[in-house]
Amino acid sequence: MVLEEEIPRFAAWIGPALLWYLFAGSLVAVLVAAVAWLVQSALYGPLAAGDRVYRGVLSGLVDLSGMSLRRIWALSRLAVQESLRRNVLVVLGIFALIVLFAGWFLDPTSVNPGKLYLGFILAATSLLVCLVTLVLSVFSLPADIRGKAIQTVTTKPVRTGEIVLGRIIGFSIVGTVLLALMGGVGWAFVVRSVRHGHEIAAEDLVEIRNDDGVSTGQEGRTSLDRGHRHRVDIATNGTGRTDTVQGHRHTVLTVKSGVQNGSSDQVTYEIGPAEGLLEARKPLRGTLRFVDREGRPSAKGISVGAEWSYRQYIEGGSLAAAIWTFGGLTEQSFPEGLPLEMIVRVFRTYKGEIERGIAGSVRVRNPSSGLQSDPFYFQAKEYTIDSLTIPRTLATTSADGGTRQIDLFADIVSNGRVEVVLQCLESAQYYGVAQADFYLRAGNGSFAFNYAKSCLGIWFSMLLVTAMGVMFSTFLSGPVALLATLSVVLLGQFREFILRLFESQVTGDTSIVPGGGPIESLYRIVTQTSITLDLDPSTTVTAMKTLDTFLLAPMRLGAALFPSLATLGTGDFVAGGFDIPVDLLAAHAMETFGYLMAFFLVGSLCLKAREVAS
Amino acid sequence: MPSQNAVNRSEREIVVETRNLSKTYRDFWGRSKKVALKPLDLEIRRGEIFGLLGPNGSGKTTTLKLLLGLIFPTSGEALVFGRDATDVSKNERIGYLPEESYLYKFLDAEETLDFYGRLFDMPPEQRKQRADALIEMVGLSRDKKRQLKEYSKGMTRRIGVAQALINDPELVLLDEPTSGLDPIGTREMKDLIIDLKKRGKTVIMSSHLLADVEDVCDRIAVLHLGELKELGRVEDLLRVTDVTQIRAKGLSTNAHEEIRALLKRHGGEEIEIGNPRTTLEDLFLEVVRDTQARPGRRARTSGISDT
Repeated sequence: MVLEEEIPRFAAWIGPALLWYLFAGSLVAVLVAAVAWLVQSALYGPLAAGDRVYRGVLSGLVDLSGMSLRRIWALSRLAVQESLRRNVLVVLGIFALIVLFAGWFLDPTSVNPGKLYLGFILAATSLLVCLVTLVLSVFSLPADIRGKAIQTVTTKPVRTGEIVLGRIIGFSIVGTVLLALMGGVGWAFVVRSVRHGHEIAAEDLVEIRNDDGVSTGQEGRTSLDRGHRHRVDIATNGTGRTDTVQGHRHTVLTVKSGVQNGSSDQVTYEIGPAEGLLEARKPLRGTLRFVDREGRPSAKGISVGAEWSYRQYIEGGSLAAAIWTFGGLTEQSFPEGLPLEMIVRVFRTYKGEIERGIAGSVRVRNPSSGLQSDPFYFQAKEYTIDSLTIPRTLATTSADGGTRQIDLFADIVSNGRVEVVLQCLESAQYYGVAQADFYLRAGNGSFAFNYAKSCLGIWFSMLLVTAMGVMFSTFLSGPVALLATLSVVLLGQFREFILRLFESQVTGDTSIVPGGGPIESLYRIVTQTSITLDLDPSTTVTAMKTLDTFLLAPMRLGAALFPSLATLGTGDFVAGGFDIPVDLLAAHAMETFGYLMAFFLVGSLCLKAREVAS
Repeated sequence: MPSQNAVNRSEREIVVETRNLSKTYRDFWGRSKKVALKPLDLEIRRGEIFGLLGPNGSGKTTTLKLLLGLIFPTSGEALVFGRDATDVSKNERIGYLPEESYLYKFLDAEETLDFYGRLFDMPPEQRKQRADALIEMVGLSRDKKRQLKEYSKGMTRRIGVAQALINDPELVLLDEPTSGLDPIGTREMKDLIIDLKKRGKTVIMSSHLLADVEDVCDRIAVLHLGELKELGRVEDLLRVTDVTQIRAKGLSTNAHEEIRALLKRHGGEEIEIGNPRTTLEDLFLEVVRDTQARPGRRARTSGISDT
């Protein structure tokens, strides 16, 4: 899976982040008060404006301190009842229909059906839950204001904060229930969809013999089920395993039954459940550095021209290598050796035998002494995770050609650190790797628990959408609040791009994002000018770029101010079979809580400043 | 028992006060769109029934909304129990019945009162007790489990009154309380208002129905085009000082002639001598009560006797 940035440890950043949050919040509060004073000054004069702002701030603080749990709960219950009245549970029927007919458009013969099904279910759940709570949250308050029911509420000792918080909680409860139900159904659907078995009979297997005619095992192919079959290797002890197809494999066990009616032993083969489909790997990741084709350290690998520079490439048949350094290794943690898992992308400059992977090697090396093991060879294929267990006992060949046995932990691991060196062995072919692509499998988490953690990510998104919807509805009409929230969600989806685009626009560095802002892009489309070409300087071009900067400025501000729901999603982890790190969830929880606080305060302030009966 | 001085002091207490209170609605650009209320000075004391009287668009509802803090004054201030009208805590002691009962139609009567009780932070037992009593009072016991969307206008008005009284308020603001009610409902509403006064509550009501105001209010303010035109006690405002009214029962035609002669002798101008008319409201109520008391009896076709 793709992990563009390292996940920082929660404890390392939470302290400074909270301080920064308080500082930024205070700064925004002062700015808001200043703007309010300016607006009021224009209407009532500076002194009266100061008095109004002071009283407003004081009243706001008193209101916050006087909030009652009973009132908040009453308003939350009302929001739930309102949702039920609006037949919100219909969405469960829609979800059921989607699941029922999912088989029509989900291909069970895809490269990794587990990933496909999981990705689909999580995306459908997230979309439906967020959409429902969005619609509920943006239309509720405006409907109350339009229908004047709000007047019978605000004439009770109800704080505006309670109205806002009550709605956020109420609609979140609805969203949570929907998410729990959809999540449960989705989980059952995925598990049921990917669960399968194969059969293999004795006649499907052939004996493998060495040159001396001694049997070394059997090989054959399983039955075709769910659009795929596996190649099977069975050792002489009767155990075996299949190859990896569609992201999973099976264990095989030979079962011999007793003599019956004078006949010989009956042999059957049991194929175990699919392994590797619905997993929660707990990886121990290292840091990556490169060595170029001359064997010199290099900051980067080679670019093969891919626009996405996440993966760097190493050249085959040369000294170029990608080297990961893993730390914190102990003998107790890995008593059987190092379970290495590798995602290696292949870039072929010639097609070769397309069914065969590209040969490569992996060695482990002592980062202090430089002592390294002999290479382990493998063939890298696209879209698969190769696994390799580095055993405790290794062979090493010295410069004079002598080979000796060494121990992994005694000779290679130094102060808990070890280096893993990857090389591509075929000339004119390339391996593409990123730091997260090599890891040691430190353990396995529960898939069900990991799936629940992924639903937690959807829950965070749902909370933010709900809070944003309620916030916008305190000063906008329902449809406008809906548009505003959707715009913010979209803005968040492209946050990184907008930040880079603005930087590119302001600095004039077109290498950051080529093609310019919206006006320039439109011009290039109309005139069919490539984005890599600089436009000839002219007054029109200058005007266009200036206008772009003005257009991008509010987008940049919005992208910086509002959350990006895309970053809260953890579906890639679950679909990729990786355990969602607790540090990541904690970071998402804090981000969600921080934004919730902000949305709550802004919403309360806006509602308080609004004449609900005008 | 409070002393007489304490009672007098309490009655003198100003519950609501406005000083130069005005409201101008503005458009998006801040330009004046409509002057809804011109500077208004009012003092309403504890235990009064105060009426805001005026035609549609005269500023009655605007005044009530300003007192409730639902809208903000353009200038001046409104004080309720000595606090700014925008102070939420004053609402602990206030009950409000809007012009139309803007309630949540998907709740039933019990749920409605329970909801509003919660907004006053009332504990469950108190909420239950209060809701039961109010439902009984407004005569909705048989319909308390029906959703409000199934209620008639009169029933909705009654549950609206119940929600306004859920906190046993000291000050009750009623916006057009008899609007949309039939004569019986109107009379019950007026009886309720008088009953509230008997219980020491202060009532402010707005209405354009002159008879309603006249029947129940101690003092009134007459508004027109957002401006205060008259303010005072109802009996003072309605007293016609240059006209003498004599009402008697059982006089003969001769007696009428003698009275006319007497008026002439004293230089009085005769305006009317004859049988007075009752009000249509009284006639209707009598018919209904009569019918309820004696079901099946045919309606009278002639006028009713003097009341």
